[in-house]
Amino acid sequence: MALSRHLLAGFALIAMVAFAGCSDGKQKQARPHPASPALPGLYSVGARIFGLPGGPVRLATPPVTPLAGWLTPAAVPSADGRYLAYNSWRELRQDDPKLSWSDQGIEPGDPLATPSIRLYDSRAGTDDVLAEGAFSLAWRADGALAYFKGAERDYRAGVSYVGDVVVRPSLEGAPEVWSSERGRYIVVGWAGTRLVAYIEHEGEALDVVVFDGPGRMRALAANSALVAISPNGRQAFVEQGPAQGRPTVRVLELATGHEAAALDLTRVDAAVGWVGYAGDWRADRVVASSASGLAVFGVAPGKISLQKALRVAASSVAEPRFVDSSGLRVKAWTSVRRGGVFLDCDFAEEACDRAMPLPEARGVHGFPAWRRPLYNPSRPLGTS
Amino acid sequence: MRRAVVALAAATALLACGSATAADGWWTFDRNTNLNSTLAWKWTYPPSPAQYSRSWRAGSGSSTDECRRGEGWLPAGWYAQWGHWNHYGGSAIRGRVWWLQDKYCYDGVTKRVELFIHSEETADNGQACTSAWDDPFCWEREADYYSLGCIKLARPSPVADFPGDLGSAHSYYHSYGGSSNHGDLPNDAYELYVFS
Repeated sequence: MALSRHLLAGFALIAMVAFAGCSDGKQKQARPHPASPALPGLYSVGARIFGLPGGPVRLATPPVTPLAGWLTPAAVPSADGRYLAYNSWRELRQDDPKLSWSDQGIEPGDPLATPSIRLYDSRAGTDDVLAEGAFSLAWRADGALAYFKGAERDYRAGVSYVGDVVVRPSLEGAPEVWSSERGRYIVVGWAGTRLVAYIEHEGEALDVVVFDGPGRMRALAANSALVAISPNGRQAFVEQGPAQGRPTVRVLELATGHEAAALDLTRVDAAVGWVGYAGDWRADRVVASSASGLAVFGVAPGKISLQKALRVAASSVAEPRFVDSSGLRVKAWTSVRRGGVFLDCDFAEEACDRAMPLPEARGVHGFPAWRRPLYNPSRPLGTS
Repeated sequence: MRRAVVALAAATALLACGSATAADGWWTFDRNTNLNSTLAWKWTYPPSPAQYSRSWRAGSGSSTDECRRGEGWLPAGWYAQWGHWNHYGGSAIRGRVWWLQDKYCYDGVTKRVELFIHSEETADNGQACTSAWDDPFCWEREADYYSLGCIKLARPSPVADFPGDLGSAHSYYHSYGGSSNHGDLPNDAYELYVFS
């Protein structure tokens, strides 16, 4: 085990060195980062996890979120770092994306896959199912765990995967249903004692909702998505894309839904265009993916301002997160033909370094391996 | 002009073949930009291999990354079409719609779900244009071609002069080889191909 961990770490280092400085030619030349590898603190390459206290490990299955993409993290560490709760996906039959379901003989109602939430315990070395027929989770600083639990165990062809939001006060606690009616929920994060989630409608339309407790759900932002929860857990930074009107970002009070500030993105640097979900909020700055790369916003009472926009030569950028309190360095990921690539972007240098740990790793059915940062978007929280 | 030629060819073929119901049709979607791609209805009169088509400007997504849920355009590949409604009454999508299967995107992991071909209209195929900027069931402007992932076709409204592409596509679908049925169509043979 110790040997394999060293081997994994060695491969990661080799790959990191090989890819360091692979910035796109349109950007400035990569600057050296000899002491700061361009990798997230905690990340996955397929089923392999790097950055846990005990060293690299291989999980029972890769942490993936097919029914949520990166609307929610693939895996969330516990506040003390001992546990990693993660989403898994067990295919019950292969679904070739090149072919239609009809051509594959897939009939309406056929079970296709089982999503589950698993728990890895770094102290005990165990990796067990926590909830079967479940996906998307949020872990609060006091240990309360929320997730979506399907009404049925399996995701089936042509059947909406509806279910409930459930909350466990602790890993050992009994799950309690918080949703008052079944729906297609995606759990995102805790904001203090409030739970932030999505309800998904036709066409992947999303409403951001808040649960104040069992049976107490309210809409926070219709046709919108969550960029980040404020460090104190009292506000949400939400975005609305061009498909729902004028691209806009807003700061909303989570307790009341009151709009504290808004910014019309058609009135700032046109390179921004629109911003995406799953960003980060540190101190008074918010980072989000944008149409051309990344955007950093300043948040002040009653005001949102665009502070920096960085063009990134990539198909799209996902899950940007601040590296430090300077607000100038951000880690994120993007996709290339060989799979996910981590980005280490410096707004001062206006450049991004790239790193692809374990470049030969393969995912399911020969697809490129997923490489994703693993983090906890809940606030307030000691880890991120 | 091109459309007229294709339509003429189709009309000629109809006369020669006698019945439109003998046609066999399918959709194709050629992704160009989020705001300006091409949806086509294609059909043949088996056993003749000659293909006929009619195409319309269509939009999809607000990003060209097909793996971005709620943002990326429709992933490439073949889709089964499992439903068609004239008066669909969903919360986000209404009116004349075609329902498509879920699809893995290029990463082989992320599923895109709840996918449709649709426009912005009410369940009774009207327009609800009330606000200054963007109503969900009113086709007001170019930006209405953006979607969260679905394929969107324009239609006229009281506040903007867009072509009746949804109505045209609906008509061609029913007239040239599409199903005459409505509702859940689990065994529908009609498919969509999205080019890479």
